[in-house]
Amino acid sequence: MSERKAFSIDVGGLKSRPKQSDARTIAKTDKAGEKHGFIDREPKAKRGRKPSPRTGQVHAKVLPQVQAQIAAEARRRGTQQGVIIEDAWELYCEQHGITDED
Amino acid sequence: MPVVTIASPKGGAGKSTAAVILGTELAHAGAAVTMIDCDPNRSLTLWSDQGDIPPRIQVLSDVGESDLIKTVKQHDQDGSIVIIDLEGVASRLVSRAISQADLVITPMRGTTLDATIGVRALQLVAEEEEALDRSIPHAVVFTMTRNIRSKQHNGIEASLREQGVDIIDPSLIERAAFAALFEFGGDLRTIPPQGNMETAQANAQGFAEAVYARLRGEAGESAA
Repeated sequence: MSERKAFSIDVGGLKSRPKQSDARTIAKTDKAGEKHGFIDREPKAKRGRKPSPRTGQVHAKVLPQVQAQIAAEARRRGTQQGVIIEDAWELYCEQHGITDED
Repeated sequence: MPVVTIASPKGGAGKSTAAVILGTELAHAGAAVTMIDCDPNRSLTLWSDQGDIPPRIQVLSDVGESDLIKTVKQHDQDGSIVIIDLEGVASRLVSRAISQADLVITPMRGTTLDATIGVRALQLVAEEEEALDRSIPHAVVFTMTRNIRSKQHNGIEASLREQGVDIIDPSLIERAAFAALFEFGGDLRTIPPQGNMETAQANAQGFAEAVYARLRGEAGESAA
């Protein structure tokens, strides 16, 4: 079998032209593409809020003034009332030495 | 430095294989190569994750419509040949990648289906040439060809040549070694032997040399 000729590149001989990237050129390019069905197919971000990880539910009836205070504190902090209950539970666990393993 | 866009709206035409063969052969010949993976299937990235990336090659992953032109501009000027691999779909990303190209290569199998869909890329190049008022060199490379060509393949090739389409010679023959690049990563000199490696390397090198000649403006000016 004959020896293959070595292939080496002289980068100085490569031709490159200046590329236009202004908004007008991009708009012209997009329009040319659309004529042939080359349209925007980028995945779109989902609309709306993300689902909350708080899927557990407690069934608590409390005194009216406690309910009002929890609601006011949640509004002040910009959180759900459930977050206030979680914080309260964390403090309770600390005070009573309750751990996740219990 | 030149930008080579590998474009066809047909999936499975051999775009990523052509991109890897071209990138690795150009790098082996001494060029710095930046490969931009614009395919959501991340074929180039999968290849680069399989083994050591050959010297002088860098792979940029997850480049989308909004950052393609900025990315090309950045790497167009850093002394490396830029190769853009695209998803096999008719998208706006494809038309933008063509607008930034010094050479568009459309891989095509020698079948009527591939030719019918692949020709849409050539039509888009012609449309962009008119819209942007400049010539965009482009060529077709037949992929997954066999040593004995079908009548269908010969007919498609003759028809394209009659229309002045530049056809890259040699075509990329169906070889286990080319498919194995995505199994082992690296290039044709580092993967475990798959069939006749010498002919695979000669085929890949011949393809890269033909592209290199076009990037130097020495070959392939289409008559159209």
